[in-house]
Amino acid sequence: MMQRINALISKNQRFIPLTVTAVLVFVAYGIGAILYPAMRNPQVFFNLFRNNAYILISAIGMTLVILTGGIDLSVSGVVALTTVASAALLRNGWNAWVVILLMLLIGISIGATMGSFITFLKVQPFIATLAGMWFARGMCFFISDDAIAIDNRIYHILGETKILIPGLTELAAIQGNPAPYVSISVIVSFILLGVAIYITHFRRFGRIVYAIGGNEGRNERSARLMGLSVNTTKVLVYTFNGLCSGLAGVALGVFVSSGHGLYASGFELDVIASVVIGGTMLTGGVGYVFGTLFGVMVLGVTQILIQFTGSLSSWWSRIVIGLLMLAFIGVQSLIAARKGGRHRVKEMQELAVARRRRWALAISGIAFILLTVLAINFIPPLMGAGQTATTESTHCEVKPFREVEVENLIQDGAVIAYHRTAGTRCVDELYAVYPDGRVVGNNGKQEVEGQVDPVELERILTTISDDYGWFTEKIYSTWHNPCGTCYAHYLTIYYHNQEKTVTAVDGGVDMQPEYGYTLSLIRPILPKFTQAP
Amino acid sequence: MRKTKSSFTWRNVTESRLFFPLLALALILFLDFILIPGFFKFQVRDGNLYGSLIDILRNGSTVALLAIGMTLVIATGGIDLSVGAVMAIAASVAALLMNPYVLGKELSPQILALIRDPNFTWQPLWVVLLVTLLVGVVCGLWNGVLVAYARIQPMVATLILMISGRGIAQLITNGVRIQIFYEPYAFIGQGWVVLPFSLYLVAFIFALTWLLTRKTAIGMFIESVGINSRSSFFSGISERNIKLLAYTFCGFCAGIAGLVASANIKTSDANNIGWSLELDAILAVVIGGTAMSGGRFSILASIVGAMVMQAVTTSMYALGVPAFALLAIKGVVVILVILLYSEQVRGFFQFIVADRKETKP
Repeated sequence: MMQRINALISKNQRFIPLTVTAVLVFVAYGIGAILYPAMRNPQVFFNLFRNNAYILISAIGMTLVILTGGIDLSVSGVVALTTVASAALLRNGWNAWVVILLMLLIGISIGATMGSFITFLKVQPFIATLAGMWFARGMCFFISDDAIAIDNRIYHILGETKILIPGLTELAAIQGNPAPYVSISVIVSFILLGVAIYITHFRRFGRIVYAIGGNEGRNERSARLMGLSVNTTKVLVYTFNGLCSGLAGVALGVFVSSGHGLYASGFELDVIASVVIGGTMLTGGVGYVFGTLFGVMVLGVTQILIQFTGSLSSWWSRIVIGLLMLAFIGVQSLIAARKGGRHRVKEMQELAVARRRRWALAISGIAFILLTVLAINFIPPLMGAGQTATTESTHCEVKPFREVEVENLIQDGAVIAYHRTAGTRCVDELYAVYPDGRVVGNNGKQEVEGQVDPVELERILTTISDDYGWFTEKIYSTWHNPCGTCYAHYLTIYYHNQEKTVTAVDGGVDMQPEYGYTLSLIRPILPKFTQAP
Repeated sequence: MRKTKSSFTWRNVTESRLFFPLLALALILFLDFILIPGFFKFQVRDGNLYGSLIDILRNGSTVALLAIGMTLVIATGGIDLSVGAVMAIAASVAALLMNPYVLGKELSPQILALIRDPNFTWQPLWVVLLVTLLVGVVCGLWNGVLVAYARIQPMVATLILMISGRGIAQLITNGVRIQIFYEPYAFIGQGWVVLPFSLYLVAFIFALTWLLTRKTAIGMFIESVGINSRSSFFSGISERNIKLLAYTFCGFCAGIAGLVASANIKTSDANNIGWSLELDAILAVVIGGTAMSGGRFSILASIVGAMVMQAVTTSMYALGVPAFALLAIKGVVVILVILLYSEQVRGFFQFIVADRKETKP
């Protein structure tokens, strides 16, 4: 029996990392579903795809790049650039389809440029794409240094169309849940996945990609000597990744309905991590595009679990992802060791020693981290007194939320109370919107007043509470300390005798899209403060 | 004929490792001289020197510290992506050791007054420095063990700490930005003894590294491991320990850089300290002419490379370019630099030089 299992394993060694990841996704989700009944709602599962569609899109392109033994750090910059550029163009009244096409072209041209630098000038992929990232992110701030809301019909249609899952609508109805759905970007990402699988595993192009990256990336020369079109393929791979980044940027823009140069910071790390967890070796030549899907899902499940656990902070996801990467790299190098040492007994023994050492390392590393965590969590209470957070930023002070004032405003009859602090211009603004359409803003120094149409206000409130589900569990606070230039938002809405307050920080990807939509609805009706000289 | 005997020929100068970085630095400073009036002015206040040039040196010192460690790692043919995260961890540890009370729930006014006292610290300064540097060393050791003993590709091995490092740093301070009120600590980043104190730190670490690599055989071992690690192994160099040393030293340098950065802004800011500085440090090494594939290195050239990066930043600020838009300009500078260093352009330069020689009998 044991032998048969061993034979099976060694026959299908290539699929081990992929299988491990797939099993991990479902086991982790299953454990979550047992612990938190809310996770049994099928919509939570489909939100995995909905919330991570743009990561998947970008990770597909990244998989190809990594298969050639390269790397692309520019994805986060290009994604941010496309959100800002598309938001700015849409604000100026461009046609949405033209804008989307243009964004894809931007992605393609940046990718092709970096690809040619890497291929023809022999620049390290790391350096060339780093330059690309800085360039793209810097260009965002030439366009706008503040978030731009996207208010476009086609973008709204793309973002809000619900595609029901066939066969599950009735099932959900029996359970009393609303019908589960996915968004258009999920469909787009799966089509892209299909296309990528086809070109990598069934076309000559894909064989060349594997040939370039094979043997830990040292095979490029042999591939060239075999007469394969190495140069063209490499440029094409980076161009394809540029296209994917552009598409991911459009998907993110549709998802959060706004554009900002600080969006997707650290995004490239998530993408690379999900590719690695999906079973692709960073050295190149080993891996499957399909595995990336599971890599992205692992990331999504980790985030969901941390959200549902509640007591864990968002930075835990980073640590978990790091540990997962360590584990997967360990598994891969074990497999590589198995493969290499099949022939000679002596080498086998040495490898067994190395393998044991590796396991010891991994275990001691994890134990070390756990011990540190425990020590840190238990020592401070022993040291006695303490205080709530001193939240002072290096760039700008994050003012404490004026909860009492907001409460008073609501008592006075305001329907929306919105407090925004920090950000690029160090603001501390408190707005109140009254049912008669009066808007009052106060930034500590001056007061401004504005007026909106009460009917329009009613429409906004209905949209927020019905379409965006403001008063449901769907929207929750995702508070963490803002980055140096991000805004912290504190929004209370009072409507039809329901009141709910949610806090969030922009510039991250953990703010729920509905919150972003809500902000982009409210922001335009607020009066402007005169800029201090 | 006589020309070749002299050590100071045109060829020797252009082939020196310091030539390109110094040329770039001179070019940038020359542009500043033309475009920004008063860029080269010095001021003397309380016997200390101030001015834009001093600013370049002072702000560049963090990247210079990182670049020193990074040079050794890159010379062994590796790379360390985790230095920025290690900086954040070091800063968090240091801040926690000086001011641990902010982690609790409620704080009485007496303690609040106590921790705002500039002379108050929980642990004495030497403990803070020692523990922080030890943490940096441990982080470097972790990377080194993964690379040298577990044989994981350097980029992958250090990526793990890069991704999880900032999470660990936030875990240490429980997500709180700890403010530092202790003045002697702040001196590390903000103090001046005629010149900024951090410059003396850079000079000290540079001297230490120079002695370590040029006055012992370690420097040559590092180069030989970077050129061919297998043949170094066969010629009796324990390449694993050399790699381990390089990564550990890099972690140590990142620890010091974390101290300087957190003392400079007087907070432990796990999100922002060292953000994308690993890229700056790698770039500084590349500008300094050390090949990413390993081999010969020059620490001084890397420091000059760090100063080139900082000179670009400072002069752009002086010209009024906003902070984030600066990234685009940095990107263009990187592209120019890699073009300058690419084989094609180098070949073109050599072609010109050779051409001139032929025309001159």
